[in-house]
Amino acid sequence: MVSIPIDDNTNQDPTRRAPLVLGKADFETVTETVCRIAERPGAPVAWYVAFGISATLTVGLFAAIGWLIMTGIGVLGNNSPVFWGWPIVNFVFWVGIGHAGTLISAILFLFRQKWRTSINRFAEAMTIFAVMCAGIFPAVHVGRIWLVYWLAPYPNQMGMWPNFRSPLLWDVLAISTYATVSALFWYLGMIPDLATLRDRATTRLRRFAYGLFALGWQGSSGQWHRFEWAYLLLAALATPLVVSVHSVVSFDFAVAQLPGWHTTIFPPYFVAGAIFSGCAMVITLAVPARAYFGLKSLITIRHLDNMNKLILGTSLLVGYAYGIELFTAWYGGNMYEAFAFANRAGGPLAWVYWLMVSCNVIIPQLFWFKRCRTTPWIMVVVALLVNVGMWMERFVIIVSSLGRDFLPSSWGAFRPTMIDVMMFVGSFGLFLTCFLLFCRFLPMVAMAEVKGVLPHGEEKEGEGATDEH
Amino acid sequence: MKDKALPNLDRERAGVTGPWRAVAFALAIVGVAVLTLTEQAGGVETDARQRFWAAYLVNFGFYLSLSLGALFFVALQHLVRAGWSVGVRRLAELVAANLIWMGLLFLPILFSGRTFLYSWMDPSVVAGDKLLEWKEPYLNVPFFTARAVGYFVVWGLLAWFFLRQSSRQDASGDPALTRRMEKLAPGTLLLFALTVTFAAFDWFMSLEPHWFSTIYGVYYFAGAIVGAVAVLVLLAAAMQAGGWIHGAITVEHYHELGKLLLGFVVFWGYIAFSQYMLIWYANIPEESVWYLARQSGPWLWCSVALLVGNLFVPFLGLLPREVKRRRITLGAWAVWLLVFHWLDLYWLVMPTFSPASLPFGWPEAGCLVGMGCLFAAGIVHLAARRALAPVGDPRMNESLAYENLG
Repeated sequence: MVSIPIDDNTNQDPTRRAPLVLGKADFETVTETVCRIAERPGAPVAWYVAFGISATLTVGLFAAIGWLIMTGIGVLGNNSPVFWGWPIVNFVFWVGIGHAGTLISAILFLFRQKWRTSINRFAEAMTIFAVMCAGIFPAVHVGRIWLVYWLAPYPNQMGMWPNFRSPLLWDVLAISTYATVSALFWYLGMIPDLATLRDRATTRLRRFAYGLFALGWQGSSGQWHRFEWAYLLLAALATPLVVSVHSVVSFDFAVAQLPGWHTTIFPPYFVAGAIFSGCAMVITLAVPARAYFGLKSLITIRHLDNMNKLILGTSLLVGYAYGIELFTAWYGGNMYEAFAFANRAGGPLAWVYWLMVSCNVIIPQLFWFKRCRTTPWIMVVVALLVNVGMWMERFVIIVSSLGRDFLPSSWGAFRPTMIDVMMFVGSFGLFLTCFLLFCRFLPMVAMAEVKGVLPHGEEKEGEGATDEH
Repeated sequence: MKDKALPNLDRERAGVTGPWRAVAFALAIVGVAVLTLTEQAGGVETDARQRFWAAYLVNFGFYLSLSLGALFFVALQHLVRAGWSVGVRRLAELVAANLIWMGLLFLPILFSGRTFLYSWMDPSVVAGDKLLEWKEPYLNVPFFTARAVGYFVVWGLLAWFFLRQSSRQDASGDPALTRRMEKLAPGTLLLFALTVTFAAFDWFMSLEPHWFSTIYGVYYFAGAIVGAVAVLVLLAAAMQAGGWIHGAITVEHYHELGKLLLGFVVFWGYIAFSQYMLIWYANIPEESVWYLARQSGPWLWCSVALLVGNLFVPFLGLLPREVKRRRITLGAWAVWLLVFHWLDLYWLVMPTFSPASLPFGWPEAGCLVGMGCLFAAGIVHLAARRALAPVGDPRMNESLAYENLG
């Protein structure tokens, strides 16, 4: 076992850059630290316990979906006037979670934020699993799921096409593009690390499996050259997706004329909210993972500090959008819009609204204090609350606006059913199951990239890698 | 850090010398004279007066946005503790510090122009208009004035703070000054977001007092930051060509500014599209009326020109690496984008006053030139006897050694 001493790298001395990786950071230590997690013969008991629970919840998810398909949409709480209930809340929630991964892997790459190297791999994994969870909900709630392929535009003998002016079709295209590019990006970045695992493999099965996916990687300079170009190009391709996907999701609401849905700030506001919730999920997963798998020297407090600053920044953006929406609901002088917000803040679901405001705008203000940004338990609590708040936000948007629109005679309440609950909780099961499998079998930290930000022996002793540039 | 020889900064350390304060004074005189002449030349008829004030507002919004964008740029560099941008930061600090005088340019609007510009200030218009009566707690002259004073105080103090601390560092090289600026950066951006949003609501959105759009503040900001980066490119190129800046700005800095320009051009397009698409799609009369005015008659061509000239063409033009690394090509794109950023302001303001034609003549040109002289005077005055690069910044060497790899 290799153990790396921990020291502090959260200083902000402008005359020098803080090290990105702490302790005795050489190539071998990085490889050992990361690979031994995937190579350890049996997993620790806690892993099995967690896996057992999340796998059970996943079974619950699929059982609920089976019941839904056999019975019909009536098993969900969706009903007139709230035709979009929890499934769409969950869909938007999970798509949003995914955005932090793409932000970290693509945008921070283009901005040369080298600290991303320690956390990008599992943030990208998180993206893919979150998009999987997200994709399930709109697919199963369409009703006749055996006709779900009608959503895709393809030439067919019925001469039947989806409505190209419908944001629901844009959604299908946006999400499937996003899933494809994210998966490619994740996989491409992992190839050199898979080759490392292949070369270290001690059993034929492992050598075969990792070898298959390493695509014959030899680490020659020609391969590295092409790899880095491909990575840069994919980063540039993925960058517009960070913005476009959640903008398209926001169109689902904002193109309508419904009060509380139709407002022009929705696209950037949704993107900010998505990154906000995604960063919170990264913190939720990173803090236990780094403690449990001995990655504290690679995923340092500085990394978490930076993520928390992103959470604070995006929280302020979300708060800005809430504020401007409220102001305009009054300033616009439209009675329906004004009512929609009065209803959110003072109607029967006011408690959800104020929970949302507290979790998304008020509590993250704790991150103005460095102590809160650098204390693991505090940041996990805040991050969990942010995730609660962001789920509530989508609930508020969907249920409060649909439940009480223009005509009081058509108002109605929404009540979730057991199936709703099972599917929601089950989606967390699926997410965590995938994540636990990833932690167990794949390189959690991008070893090749972290090695790229290590000092190459030229620096004076004691100077680590720095996030210069 | 690589072992390459860093550029020499002796020129920058010496600072700007010469009778530049006098030049600034002369520029200011010319600016005031041109503005006064333009105002007088129009005559006293209401139409002519209104046209002058509309042109004044367009140009005020244009120059103001350049300084606001620069203030954002400076605060952002401190927020993210950027190293690469140190070489060009002083220029941004100077452009931003023009905000301390920008309030003076607003005084004529406040004292004279407002009645020609803002219909909601006319009690006879408000009376009987339910919407305007409803909005009166916000749209009233005392509160409007108080807000404007508040914006200028906040902007002036913040911009002055960054220029002053950074200039002090030229001599002392004290890293604590960097820390102080970094500490203020998040709060600056927070105040910036709120003040710019409501200033855009007050001065531009309320020209059509019935109309509203939640993204309007972001739209004004998006144009401002494009304009500010374009000004930075032009200033850097001019100062280097004139020998005022020698080694502090390298080809890598132009490349970076070019990338930012490309990125913010796309950001502007994204915000403009978000606003247009949602209003077009829902097609609610109370909102679509604003675009209807901009799609009717000759304004349609102005809208199309904006879309093509402020998004499609510069997007393609700024993509190639070599374009961003050459002073002359990047400078040309900066000029192009400033022209279209001006057109953007024109497109925001003018349809209210001239629904059937695109006026361009003495009032518009006179305000552009006159205010331009005043804007330049402010920068020259601030730059005189100062170094044009933050030579004492602890990250200066990092900025000088910076290279684009990809």
